[in-house]
This record gives sequence, C-alpha cells and structure tokens, in this order.
Amino acid sequence: MPANIDTILFKDIDEPGLNTREVYERRGGYEMLRKALKMEPSAVLDEMLASGVRGRGGAGFAMGRKMSFIPKGTMDKYLVCNADESEPGTFKDRELMQKNPHLLIEGIIIGAYCIGASKSFIFIRGEYDYVADILDAAVAEARAAGYLGENILGSDHTIDLVVHRGAGAYICGEETALLDSLEGKRGNPRLKPPFPAVQGLYQGPTLINNVETLMNVPVILNMGGAEYAKIGTETSTGTKMISISGQIKYPGNYEIELGMKTRDILFDLGGGPLEGRTFKAWFPGGSSSPVMPLTEEVLEMPYDFDSIAKAGSMLGSGAIIVFDDSTSIVDVCYKTAHFYRHESCGKCSPCREGCNWTEKMLVRIKNGDATPMDLDIIESVCNQIMGNCLCVLGDAMAMPVSSMIKHFRPEFEAYIEAKREEAGFGVAIPQTNRGAHAGPGPLLQPAQAA
Amino acid sequence: MAIDPSKIKRYSHGSRVPGWDEAADLSKDPSVVPDPATTYVPDHVREAIETLMAKYPDVRSAAIPAMFIVQREHGWLSPTAMEQAACVLRLTPAYMVSVASFYDMFELTPKGKHDVYVCTNISCSLLGADGVYARMKDEMEGDPDFNVRAFECLGACDIAPMASVDGVYVGPLTEDDCAQIKADIKEGREVLPDKQLAKRKAASKHWNR
Amino acid sequence: MPRPVVKEITFTLDGREITAPEGMILVDAAGKYGDTEIPVFCYEPKLGQPVGACRMCLVEIEGIPKLQTGCSTPIRDGMVVHTQTQRVHDAQRAVVEFLLINHPLDCPVCDKGGECPLQDITYGWGPGTSRFIEPKRHFKKPLELSPLIAIDRERCILCYRCVRYSQEVAEDYQLVLQQRGAASYVSTFDGHPYVAPFSGNIIELCPVGALTSRAYRFRARPWDIEGAGTVCAGCTAQCNVELTVRDERVLRVLSRDHSEVDDGWLCDKGRFSYQAVHAEERITQPLVREGAELHPASWEKAIEAAAAALKKAGDRAAALAGGTTTNEEAFLLSGLLRDKLGSSHLATGVGGEQPLDVVRALADPKLQATVPDLEFAHTVLLVDCDPIDEAPVWDLRIRKGVRRHGTKLVVASARPTALDQNAAATLRFAPGGAEGFLVALDAALSGDAGNLGGAASAAGTNATAIQEFADALRAGGEEVVIVYGDRALRGSAGRALLNIASRLNLANVANAGLLELPSTPNGRGLREVGFAAGHGPGFSTISAPGHGAEAIASGLASGDLHTVWLHHVDPLRNYPNRPAWEKALGTAQTVIAVESQLTDTVREYADVVFPAEAYPEKEGTITHPDGRVQRLRQAIGHPRAASDVPGSGVRALWQVISDVARELGHSAGTAIAGAVVSKRVFEAVPFYNGMTLDGIGGRGLRWQEHATFEVEQSDPFVLAVPASLPAKGESELRLGTFRPLWAHKDVDLSPALQFIRAKQVVELSKADADARGIGEGDRVEIGNGTRIPGTARIRAAIPAGSVFVAEGIAEHNANVLTHGIVEVHRVGPGSTDATSIPIQSTPAVEGRAEMPPSAGLPIPPREVT
Ligand SMILES: Cc1cc2nc3c(=O)[nH]c(=O)nc-3n(C[C@H](O)[C@H](O)[C@H](O)COP(=O)(O)O)c2cc1C
Ligand code: SF4
Ligand code: FES
Repeated sequence: MPANIDTILFKDIDEPGLNTREVYERRGGYEMLRKALKMEPSAVLDEMLASGVRGRGGAGFAMGRKMSFIPKGTMDKYLVCNADESEPGTFKDRELMQKNPHLLIEGIIIGAYCIGASKSFIFIRGEYDYVADILDAAVAEARAAGYLGENILGSDHTIDLVVHRGAGAYICGEETALLDSLEGKRGNPRLKPPFPAVQGLYQGPTLINNVETLMNVPVILNMGGAEYAKIGTETSTGTKMISISGQIKYPGNYEIELGMKTRDILFDLGGGPLEGRTFKAWFPGGSSSPVMPLTEEVLEMPYDFDSIAKAGSMLGSGAIIVFDDSTSIVDVCYKTAHFYRHESCGKCSPCREGCNWTEKMLVRIKNGDATPMDLDIIESVCNQIMGNCLCVLGDAMAMPVSSMIKHFRPEFEAYIEAKREEAGFGVAIPQTNRGAHAGPGPLLQPAQAA
Repeated sequence: MAIDPSKIKRYSHGSRVPGWDEAADLSKDPSVVPDPATTYVPDHVREAIETLMAKYPDVRSAAIPAMFIVQREHGWLSPTAMEQAACVLRLTPAYMVSVASFYDMFELTPKGKHDVYVCTNISCSLLGADGVYARMKDEMEGDPDFNVRAFECLGACDIAPMASVDGVYVGPLTEDDCAQIKADIKEGREVLPDKQLAKRKAASKHWNR
Repeated sequence: MPRPVVKEITFTLDGREITAPEGMILVDAAGKYGDTEIPVFCYEPKLGQPVGACRMCLVEIEGIPKLQTGCSTPIRDGMVVHTQTQRVHDAQRAVVEFLLINHPLDCPVCDKGGECPLQDITYGWGPGTSRFIEPKRHFKKPLELSPLIAIDRERCILCYRCVRYSQEVAEDYQLVLQQRGAASYVSTFDGHPYVAPFSGNIIELCPVGALTSRAYRFRARPWDIEGAGTVCAGCTAQCNVELTVRDERVLRVLSRDHSEVDDGWLCDKGRFSYQAVHAEERITQPLVREGAELHPASWEKAIEAAAAALKKAGDRAAALAGGTTTNEEAFLLSGLLRDKLGSSHLATGVGGEQPLDVVRALADPKLQATVPDLEFAHTVLLVDCDPIDEAPVWDLRIRKGVRRHGTKLVVASARPTALDQNAAATLRFAPGGAEGFLVALDAALSGDAGNLGGAASAAGTNATAIQEFADALRAGGEEVVIVYGDRALRGSAGRALLNIASRLNLANVANAGLLELPSTPNGRGLREVGFAAGHGPGFSTISAPGHGAEAIASGLASGDLHTVWLHHVDPLRNYPNRPAWEKALGTAQTVIAVESQLTDTVREYADVVFPAEAYPEKEGTITHPDGRVQRLRQAIGHPRAASDVPGSGVRALWQVISDVARELGHSAGTAIAGAVVSKRVFEAVPFYNGMTLDGIGGRGLRWQEHATFEVEQSDPFVLAVPASLPAKGESELRLGTFRPLWAHKDVDLSPALQFIRAKQVVELSKADADARGIGEGDRVEIGNGTRIPGTARIRAAIPAGSVFVAEGIAEHNANVLTHGIVEVHRVGPGSTDATSIPIQSTPAVEGRAEMPPSAGLPIPPREVT
C-alpha cells in the first residue's frame, strides 16, 4: 500500500465509535477548541493563513483569505458548512461526516470563533438522511458537553449549530444558491458581488466552506499552520480526500498528499482498470472538470490544483471518475449533459436554454439523426455558455462536454455515422433546410427516407 | 417525398411538465395566506413546525424542513399538506409549491410508500445502473408500496451501481438484487444487510489486497 | 431617513468620457448620460435589486476578465466600459438566440407585436437566424391566469419580472415559478387564479406577449392607437396614467410612472374600470323630472330648471361634492352658492367637520408629509385606515419602505389591515374608537397618566397597550409620518392629532409629518379652493359658516334647507346613515344631481340631472393629498346623446356650472374656457398663486415647494377624555365598517371587473363565530332592527367582540345600519359559498355593456393528434 495515505483526516477512520464524543475525546478531540478559545481570533486566522489550505469544495480558494474577508464588527455573522456534496463522483464528505462528525463540529466551532459568528449551519443534502441523523446526534452531544450553545466552555462566546437538510438539488452546492435554499427559498444562485463574505445569509457576512476544509481547521491548529504547509506542494498544501469511482478496481475514498502522481493514484490506490480493459479517460475533479484522455503524459502529472489547471482541467472536489475502452464517449457526454440540464436552476438564459439545447442535440446523435455539423453547434453553444452565466453551473456542463468533443471528435463522428446507418439515414448529408418547422424526427422517418 | 403534415405529431412532446398546460380555475378564490381561524392543522404538525421555526433567525428557513414534515404526514405534498404548512409558517401556499417543485425530494403527485432512488448518473451507469433501474422498475412499478425513481448522483459512487432505499444506501447492486430489495421491504426486513454502505469500511481497509 | 447624496464621476463608455452620478447602474447611466442603449430584459429597478438573470446586458469592463452584467454594475470613477466589441456582440447574439429557442414566431398574431421589447432587441442585437432545429416546446395557449389576464407560456422568456413583482412589490406571493431549469413555468398554487389588488401591473411588466390583458387583447395594434396622459381620478392616490385611445375610445390604461405619486404602479380598479367610460348605462344627456318621471331634456331646459330651483332656495341651497370633482368645478360651484346665493352649506367629506383653526393647522405646510416620505421615514403610523382600500398604491409604497429601507410601520386601527404582517407594532381598538385612541396616544406621549387610562378605555383598549404602542412609535427615529383618514376626524380627534404631531416635533423634522387620506379623490383640492362649510378659498375666513354633511341631511329633512346640488356624489351609497339621506332627499324641494348613471339617488329623488363627465373627458386640476396640484387632460371627446343632436350629449361641467350662474345673473361665476377657471382658481387660492397649467404640466406641482401659509402656533391643546363607546350586551357585537377597494360604481359598470364586485361579507372572529354556530362562508344576517344579509368570513385577526361589514357597495350596503351595536345570526340551512373574495357571476347591471366580461379567447386550444 502506498505510504502517504490515510494520515490525517482518515487516520483511525474505522475506529469503532469514533462518531461518539467519548471516543473522539479519547483521541484528543475538542482539545483544539480549548486551545483556540485561549487564542485571539486573529491568531487562529494567522494559522489558517499560514497553512495555505485551499478550499476543498471545488473552487480551491484559500480558506484563510476567505476568512479574512469577513468584516470585523458586531453584526450578525454566520458560518455555513457546505455539505451538499452533489457533484457526481464526489462522496468524501459523506464518509467523513458519517464516521467522524465531531471533527467537523470542532472545526466549525473554531471557524465560527475565528470570524465572530454566533450562528452556524451545516447544509447537508437531503439524500444523506442517515448521515444527518448522525450529525444531529453529535451536535446534541456537543451541546450537552458545553461545546455549543451559550458561553461555550465557560467563555463569553455563544456559538450555535443547526443541521439543515436540503431537499435534492445539485445547484444548492453553489454557495449563494445554498444560502437562498437555507433561507427557505428556491435554490437560485445570487448575483455576485456582493460576495457572501460581505452579504450572505440573512444579509449578514457569511463564511462558507466545504466539510473537508473545515475538518482541516483543528488539524492545522494542532500542527501549526507552517507545519501543515509543508505537506503537499507549495501552492497546494496538505492532504486531500479523493473519491475514486467508475470503471476501476478499487473505488472509494482515499486521503492523499497533494502532488501525488496520477499514475500512483489510479494504479496503486485504484488498482488499475477492470480485468481485461484499458483506461480511456478520466474526470480529474468531478463531472464538471474537463475530461482528459489518460495518456502517459497525464499519468505522470502530479495531482494538485495547479498542475491539473495547467494541463487544462481542474482538481475541483477531488472526485476522480475513470472510464475505459468499453465505454462510448457519447454515452458519457450524454449523461453529463443530461445531468446538468436536469440540475440547471433556470435562472439565467444561457445555462437554462444552452444545457437544454445541448442535451437535445446529443439525444439526436444517439438516435442517429445528427450530422458531424451538430458537433460544431454543440461546441459553439458551449462556448456561448462559458463565462456568460450567472453562476458556474453552465460552465460546468460546457467544459466537460466541449472537452470530450475536442479530445474524441473522431469517435463522435464515427458514432454519428454508425447510428445513421443503423437508423437507415445513409451517410451524412449536409444539414440544410430541414423543413420549416424543425422536428427532424418525424420529418425524416426512416421509412419515408428510404 | 411529400410528407402529409397532418401525420406529424406536432405537439405531443410539448408538455412534459405537469402544469404547463393548465389554466387557472376561475371558480376558485385567490390563494392567500391561509387564515388560522379556518385552516385545520393537526396539533403535532403545528408543534413540529413551530419548533423548527424557532431554530432559525428567519422563519422562512423552516419552509423546507416543514414540507418534509407534512409530506411524511400526508404521503405526498398534497394541496392540503401545503396549505397546512403555509398556515403555520404564515406564507402563501404558492410560495410553498414554488419551493417544493424546485427540489427533487418533494413529490407533488401521490407516490408509493417506500422511496427507491436508483442512481443513474455517470459513475453508476458506467457500471450498469441503467439495467438495474430498468429491472427495479419492472419489479416495483405499479405497486402502491413503491416509489421508484431514477436519481442523479446520490454521493455513493464507491458502491456503484447503487440505490437508496428509504434513505438506506445499498450497493454494488446486480440486477438480481432488485427482487431481493422488494422482498425485504415487503417483509419488513433490513434491506440487503451485506450491501449497506453504512457498514462498509474505508476503501483502503475494505479492499483486501 | 437620510436619502443618498450623489456625487458626479466620470467613466469611459466606448471611448467617450461620460459624467454621471456615482453608483448609478451602468445600463441607466449609459442610456441617460451616454446615449447608448444596453439591451435588458430582467432588469427593472422598480422590482428591487437587479437579479442578473437574462444576461442580455453583458458588457466588457476593462480589468475584469469575464463579461459583466450592465444591469448590476454600479459605475465607478475611471471605469472603462465597452459595449461594442466583438465579444460583447457575440454574447448578446448568443443570448437572443437562446431566448428565441423556445419562443414561438407568432408575432403576427401576438398582442404585443409592435410594442414588444423582445421584438426590438431581436432586431437590434439578435443574430438574425437560429441554428435550433429541435422541436420547440408547445403548450396550449392562451390560458386564463385570472379573469383579467391571459397567459401564453410558449412566449414566456423566464425573465422573472412578473413573479418578482408578485413577491417583492405586491408581496402577495401568489404568482410564482414552479419546477426548475428549462421546465420552469409561471403559475399559481393549485390552479387558483391570480386575483389581487395589483395583479394588472404584471401585464405592463412582461417584456413579451406572455401576459396580456384579456380586456385589451386584439382590440388594437400599436399603430392604431394614441397615448394620452392624464391622472386617474378613481381614488385619492391620483396615479398618473396614460390612456390608450383609439377612435375616441379608451381601450387601455397604462401607468405613467411618477415616483412622487405612484411609483409606476396602478391598482386593478384604475387599470380596468375605464370600461365604465363607454358603458351603455351612462347618462349622456340632461334629465328633468316631470311629474313622477325623469325625461330627457335639452340643456337649456335643464339649466333653467336648476337655476330656478337655486334661485328659489337662495341661502337654503346646499351642495355636496366628491368623486372626480375638479378644483375648477368646486371653485365655480362654491362661488355660486356662497357669493350669489349666500349659502355656505358645502360639504365634501363623510367625516365630521373640524373647526377652522384645526383645519388650517392640519394643512400647515411644515406638517405636510409627501408620498416618498412614506418610503423613507423612520416610522409610518397608520391611524384607523387601510391604504389598500383607500389609496392602494400607498400600500405598495409603505411595503417598499419596510422592505427596502427598513422603515418601521406601526398600525392602530379597529379592523385588521393588509399591512399588519409588515408592521412592527399593531394596536386594535374598538370600532369607532379612533378619537379615544388619538387622545390616549397624545396622553401617552406627553406622560399624562390621568387622560391615558380614561381615553384608552374609551377606545376599547387599555393604557398598557397604548403606552407600548407609543413607545414603539417613538423608538424608530424622529422622522414619523402619520397617515390618517378624514373619517377618523371626529370630535377632538383633530386636536389630538395636532398635539401628537407637536409632541413628536414633526413640524421641525424634514421628511416627517401628516398625510391625510381624504374620503373622496380630490378631497384636499375641494377644501383648498373653498368648497367647505367653514372657510373660503385658501382657508380664508368667511362671515357665515354653513352646515356640514350631517347637518345638511337633517336640514333638508326638516325643511330648513330646500335644494341640494349633488356634484359627483351619491349620498345613498357613499355617505353614512342611508335612512337619514333618504328622508333628506325625499323632503328636499329640488335635488340637482351630476351623475353618470341611474343610481337610486337619481332614479328616486333627482329632479334635474346633469350628465357627468368621465375623468378621461375632463380638463382641469385636482390636488393630491400631499398638495401636488395635478392636471386632468382631456383624452377623448364627450359622448353624444343617443339622438345624435348637435349640442346634446355630455358637456364640460365647469361650463354647466357657468351656464347656471349666467342664468342666475351671477356674471362673476361664468367663464368662457376651462383654462380661464383654472387661472381664477390659481389667483383665488393664495398658495396656488403663480401656478399655470403649463407649469403644472404632466408631473404636477406641490404648492408647498413654492408657497407657504402662516398658521398660528399654539400650545398643545388640553383635551378631555371622549365619551366612552355605547355599552354592548353579551350577545351583541360592535359594528365597524370599511370601504372595500372594489366598492365603486365604475367597477359595477366595467364588464371585466364583474367577477370582483364587492359583495357584502361579515367579518368576525373565530370565537364569535363559534358562539353563534357560524361557519366560514355561511349566510348570515347582521343588524339591530334593520338587518342586511352577507357571507360570513372568519378571520383570526379580528378581535372578539367586533364585526366588520362593507360600505359603499351596491347591494346590502352597511350604511343602512345605524346602530353601532349589532347582532349576527346564521340564516338558511347550511352554508352557501365559501368565497373569501366574492366572485359574482351575474352582472349587477342588467343588459350588456359593449365589451364582453373578458374577451373570448379566440385561438382554440390545439389538439394533440
Ligand atoms: C454548481 C456548483 C455546485 C457546487 N457544489 C458543491 C458541493 O456540493 N459541495 C461543496 O462543498 N462545494 C460545492 N460547490 C462550491 C461552492 O460554491 C463553494 O465554492 C464551496 O462551498 C466553498 O467552500 P471551500 O472554499 O471550502 O471549497 C459548488 C459550486 C458550484 C458552482
Ligand atoms: S448558470 Fe445555470 S444554475 Fe447557474 S444561475 Fe444560471 S441557470 Fe442557474
Ligand atoms: S438585464 Fe442584466 S441580466 Fe437581465
């Protein structure tokens, strides 16, 4: 087994009863909270800044910097833990919360203390019902022990924590949509600026961080920020939970040191491809990240924020989805587009209409009623979505879809031709003048075309 | 070759969404915030919602949890259910339905008792989820005990293909597991105890290699 | 509350330096100062914060990598903006292409065609072609969203304006978006219609033809019509409107956005009751009673008859004015009575008369609050009135203040108001307890514990409640606006109000003060031009004050008064105590009525009837409650009589009064043109001096901004505790009345509004309903001796012991009930209908008005084959 896994967040993860306060405290739990309360909030913040830890939720923004944007003052401030985890392929937060809820709670309390928030929330996706139950129980324990509530641990700080269950919508992972949803509304993203750090939940300054990010808070305090920064690479510090799934031998969550070589991740941790298959391509960081063919070069790439960005994709939430040569790229592309069409909130036009249009074109490709020119239209639609939407969900569809067309265009074209044959349409014809009102299906029935 | 326009199914694809083709019923009154004096709300429902309302700085935050309560109470989010929640929250029923219809876990039409969500997203479908879903539907559809739905990623790709059965995550599933799930629910047993995610070890320990 | 101060800055727009106020939204600044249109769909500042949803307004700003939405970017000094680069053009073209993906190409049959932002923007910024060959989405269309509005979901581009309006402006939360993503659609809960006082505004907000007025659909194309600006005289809010006129007919009413008056909104009464203008039931020629019957008569004959009766009556003549009476008409009519006949029996309000010093003090410019103050004040206090019924757009204005500027609202009233949910404090007193409340509040503010207890119990509440309320009133800050209805001003109420104003120091605080809600649309103007029993033009003192409305009624009944001129007034419907008025009009020797339809008053009692002008036919001025003199401008010609005889038909009312004056030999009261009368009004009222019709123009002039008048300052008045309310027995309830928004004769005559005509409802508390075995929607009878039927409506917010019924309505009007203490019984077996807003299916007025209640929907739903 490779050396540097399961060292921090996943250490003792399977220890029986770790989700109870008793076992957690036995392992030194809540000591960091006591330590933090003895420090000035700004000193805690300094540690976070020194650690260089970047957000684990997707955008990879440095956590300490985000904390430092929260204004000082006595207004109502909030801390929200983003436990929506709906990005396809991502399942790290689930396992962390299920098995070690107190670490998250401790991280939240320290974070709230650091920014001066008295009310905090965990927004957990509604489907994680059983995990939410575990969190509820842990919060009750923490409250009973005086870690939460008024005058925590005899200090003059009041920090409350509410576990809020979502109701099933991917977009609620987007931080501003999450805030709207938490306020009891439809989960539509908000226009930024103002950023949540200035005007967030209930109009108050709000810090939003991912579960894994917040779990690192006590860890950093324990090690010291500078020490933590020594793990990983210079710009991607620390360890990262990765979720490996898809057509691979050993799917699951692994904790790695950032900068680990891709090959080691896929072959040593993931165990390589299924029997008799070869890897074709992967999503390096969840379904929103541009797909990369698994070439030798990519396998040599260190797995960290910047290396992946340089190679044209992103680390995202650290969700690795691998697929092999038995899978048609068109199917993956369709599933991706379908997902984002289904999850688009509909607020802004490019995403709402663009995702819908893209999915329809892909359906046509699958039905054998498309021509390679449709690929150009898909690419152009994706280009028009990218950068023009209110939030980045639109980009999250456009990026993987256009990357798949870019890298696998010959396969798409062959697929289109084959499907046309199958449907009896013959070889591709230039797509001109399809008739005044659209409806290609009924207009070009195979029987009629023959 | 000429095509007979009258043969073209022009509009059949239009209304996938219930409601798109519905006019307002002009014999109804406008729907305003239900008046507590004339709206019946069971006491335990009222209490449960009021407890929720106290948890948040703004009572509206309790809307989504409150709808889970009335959905459980009524089996689905019937108009009555939404009026009850709206009455306690002092919101309009339209607000409730607007929020409810945004989210996948709220059911605006009557549904079967047990929720079986089969994940058909990328990772699961790479490992055969579409077949599992088809089989699950064959087994359960039409049975009022079950509400089978294809779901987007449920956050358990490590056990792909998987399903959430009344909130219990099970996987990796084979198509043959579907019958077993049905039988387990019908007989009130724990669902596929060997395949429950909650009982699984972390990956590096799970895989004995 | 301090309103933002603006600083000028310079930014670069497409290479040009533009100076504009800092912080202005880019699209506004570009349009207003840079002469550059940035296309928008979802942006509408009236709806609150920009949402940036449609992405139509994308522009390039140097230093920011992504394109930015111009609708949400405030301009900053030195900002460099490009709206004409290839990148911007590509993005704009893309957005248009996206929006048109599902938009049907039915412009030729679309009502919006020709005045459609989507059409314009497509031409101006669109790609010209579409690459979309998938099937578009198709729905049945058009569908009914309400009896007034049709919805065409195919055309909807999901800009969210309508749902944002419902949620963030009207705050009725009835119109919402359902589902998400591309499946989203605009709808209501469970098929309920979107019926609300302000629903029609969504028609104007919709940038495509998705929401259309059922009353206007297919009646004209933009090139057939003309727009005519005037002021809606439907109620005292006097919203600025633009009438759509085709062939001398009003076909539509649109808002003519005036931020100091209406903020760009209209209520549905103002928007749809224009249909009454062209109703067949309108009286279009003079009528004179011969024997028992009214007969059409020539103008000469009617004028002679009226003049003869007035001459005979001399100083025993009286006049009541209300409705759409202009300042000019009131000036001429009051001049005729006072100067020629020697009578000052002139009444306008239904409330009690206040002494002249109080009237003057209440009109003190220093105490005058304005409509925008409702939005920006620290605290707004409502005293026994509900703006939704009396000046609907103020309701929206107050909501806006509470929502956007954190204005604190405190409500003291007998009946729960529509604004209670937004109020920081509410106080309920007993019906009729307004005077006691004001005296008690004054006592609480001045720390007069002696008066406090007594006055509070005279109001049917208690000292603690009043004290808490007074504290809440004071807590918000020094800018307080007090909104009160003139009906509340009985007894010492006026003095109490002045005391309260001085204790809160309102005269010396900018943006604070009093705002009256007169019971008749031009109540303020009538008073200022001297149509009052106690004073002449400009509140000048007069030698022989006359009677107020109640005394006029008893004077007529006793024979002390002989003749009454009813100018746009129907006392049997709109004044309290109908039996007294029936007696008065029955005994009067001559009743001269200016009326537009055959009301009971006209049919039974009038001897001479002059046809009334509808407000789109009027020329003249009216005065807004905050002192803004506004101009009514004639939009259409006067209707002719059926006989089509030249010179017959409706005439301008200033001319009619002038003709009567000439007949009476009162040459000072005659005029040859309406503008001449206006000029005379401006000369006669000192604080109107210097005004001209041109100066008033389309936006009006607040006289307080240019003139003042001196009010003797006095120390706070010493007030006595008002008499306590009459005792009530165990099984009895205290009666309160309210005038619903829809209680208006124009509503009765407008086919489109038939469904919402006000019917009698009896509002009572759950406890009182249970005690009487009454269920929601049951038929009940209410009264004491005389009884009227109504539908029970049980409301949690009604305090036990009180019951409320509607007045001003056509049938079963509350003004037949003359006792303040009543009983309520359930009648009939079981309940009839459980309607909360009564929907009436049969028109109240027999016969068909020209337009069907709602236009038939001409495109039948298409079949799915
Ligand atoms: C469409 C969309 C979905 C997202 N979903 C998640 C999610 O499920 N969980 C999460 O932690 N962050 C998610 N994010 C990222 C959040 O917006 C935000 O960046 C993150 O919660 C910040 O926390 P971090 O700084 O700790 O990463 C999502 C972003 C987008 C645009
Ligand atoms: S990009 Fe998509 S999800 Fe984001 S706001 Fe726009 S429509 Fe909603
Ligand atoms: S007008 Fe700016 S996004 Fe719609």
